[in-house]
Amino acid sequence: MSARKQGDGQPEDGGATAGKRLKIAKFSEDPEKKGLSRRLKDAEISLPIVYGTIAFYLGRKASESQSHKWTVYVRGATNEDLSAVIKRVVFQLHPSFNNPTRVMEAPPFELSECGWGEFEIAISLFFHPDVCDKQLDLYHHLKLYPEDESGPQSTKKPVVVESYDEIVFPDPSEAFYARVQNNPAVIVPRMPAGFNISAPAPENTSERERGDTKDHPLSQWFMNFSEADELLKLAAARQQPFMEMIYEN
Amino acid sequence: MDAKDILGLPKNQLPIPQEKKSRPPKEPQRKPDGISREVYALTGGLAPLMPSVDVSQLKRRPPSDEKVTWQWLPFTNSARKDDLQLFHWVRVVNGVPPTGDYAFAKYNKSANIIKYTDEEYEKYLTDPAWTKEETDQLFDLCERFDLRFIVIADRFPSSRTVEELKDRYYSVSRALLSARAPPADITGHPLVKEPYNISQEVERKRALSMVLSQTKQQERKDTEVLAEAKRITESRMAAKGPEESELPAVANIGPDNSQRAITGDAVTPSTAMPSSAIAASSTLMADNASTLASLRMLRVYLRTYALDQMVQAASASAGLRTIKRVEQTLQELGVNLKPKVPTKAVCAEHLELRKEILTLLNLQKQLQYKEAEGTSFQDSPYSETPGTPKRAPRGDQDRPFMPDPLGFGGDRFGKRDQKRKAPGRTSEAAQSPSQSKRPRKMKASDI
Repeated sequence: MSARKQGDGQPEDGGATAGKRLKIAKFSEDPEKKGLSRRLKDAEISLPIVYGTIAFYLGRKASESQSHKWTVYVRGATNEDLSAVIKRVVFQLHPSFNNPTRVMEAPPFELSECGWGEFEIAISLFFHPDVCDKQLDLYHHLKLYPEDESGPQSTKKPVVVESYDEIVFPDPSEAFYARVQNNPAVIVPRMPAGFNISAPAPENTSERERGDTKDHPLSQWFMNFSEADELLKLAAARQQPFMEMIYEN
Repeated sequence: MDAKDILGLPKNQLPIPQEKKSRPPKEPQRKPDGISREVYALTGGLAPLMPSVDVSQLKRRPPSDEKVTWQWLPFTNSARKDDLQLFHWVRVVNGVPPTGDYAFAKYNKSANIIKYTDEEYEKYLTDPAWTKEETDQLFDLCERFDLRFIVIADRFPSSRTVEELKDRYYSVSRALLSARAPPADITGHPLVKEPYNISQEVERKRALSMVLSQTKQQERKDTEVLAEAKRITESRMAAKGPEESELPAVANIGPDNSQRAITGDAVTPSTAMPSSAIAASSTLMADNASTLASLRMLRVYLRTYALDQMVQAASASAGLRTIKRVEQTLQELGVNLKPKVPTKAVCAEHLELRKEILTLLNLQKQLQYKEAEGTSFQDSPYSETPGTPKRAPRGDQDRPFMPDPLGFGGDRFGKRDQKRKAPGRTSEAAQSPSQSKRPRKMKASDI
């Protein structure tokens, strides 16, 4: 992906590859490794993601061993492209599947399969070197059968289970920050005025493949996660009259 | 009953001789030489490592053929430079006085001072800060006082510090050594191997005197800072290590840092940070600080995980029941126990809400306790609880005591959940703390 290449092709070329082990040291004297070893202290970059499964009952085409077709995926919460941060995703399926370890190297990070059983899928996220050298593991239970057991299953309406979460990167490296500061998928902190890191030259959008899921075939089923809703409920709870008692006496 | 039976080993056929054997070893124990039996027992039945006194010598008498007298005789000391003659008692055997030098002369050791000639001085030893005269004086004093530099410094005519004198002496000696002997021979010499470093010495002594004159408070502060620094370096080492970042035992990187971490994250375009987000007490902040610190040690984490940790930290002081009650309250308020949309703002709000509920429950509990104490003072008309008030054993002077009006409690607490007891007076001011705890003869409700 050209985006990635741009990121790695920062002026400190030698440093970018050599300095993969990111140091915690705030300011390295060595200008070559600046981009990777300089970290933004007390700042965090967060990446809101949604991960989950959508399962369709196959109806007439169902067999004993393959009654459902399901897709497990990791997408950006706003359906933006995650590939600037995530390098690859590994889905670990039930051992009864062929090659239960499925690796997705490019967005959209998803996997479709047919099966009959529900099990826990382990999703491992691997990030680009300047982002984080550790993987992050998520777990998701594949749900095939709807809650409501009344009547036959519909082939039109899938069983959707999604979880919203945010991946937080504390003390991100400057290179990472520079790369993603204008990325719509990423939440970056606002830096004080005068803090300028030059972003790499914008890629030619037509050249790279679309990694976002805005027009994904399954996007109609994606759940809406409204933060506002939750915030409202929380605020209302805190405002409850009896909660004010704690401030008196 | 023997294991030997079980194992099938032959039993020891002669038990009787065994008993006999055990007795003889005791015999010699009873007659040790020179030391009484009891002393032997004190040492645990073992002989002492070294004989304290050569017992055989104790009862020895001088051989009777020798004739010993004591005489007042003069003597000279070879260690003295003058010819002073003193007198002392001498043990004379058979008319022959002892020979040999004065017994203590051998202890008169002195330091080896290198002497230099004038030419050597000209060639190797000149120094802008030192005149030849001074150097000569220094060396003379060194010889006289055996390199006791404190004394030498005292006696030195011009005021020079001990370090300066030492420096001059050692550098002169070193120069002389290296001039006189070929370099290969003297590399082992301590003067050459570890030259005197005057600046280091000055610094060291200054530091020592500072440490000596430290006040107790300063000392305590220093140890704290050092411990802190150690912890930080340890945590850095831990985080630098391979994949799995161990959560270090960082108690407090300092509340300031954590404050910045919480409030320093700028407002992002999509979320609005409520300004009242941070209203925690100081102890909770400390807990938070350590959780935050440990979170920052991880290179990456999920916000739900972070929230979990913070919730745990906040609830650390609460028991399981309290936590359950917090969750119950959350559910009653219509809030999800785990937020469905855990953004930064939502998580912060959620955490704050939990903390507030916790505080609320704690306060309620405290109130209950105080009421329980207070109800023992109540006359029955004032009591709203139909049940028996708790009877705390108090002194006898409580009957004429008029409790405060109910007003302050009634309205505010109207909306409480059913677990609350009736509001009572919590005016502890009227109660003297030193009331005796004798059980009362009459009950409060008897009035």
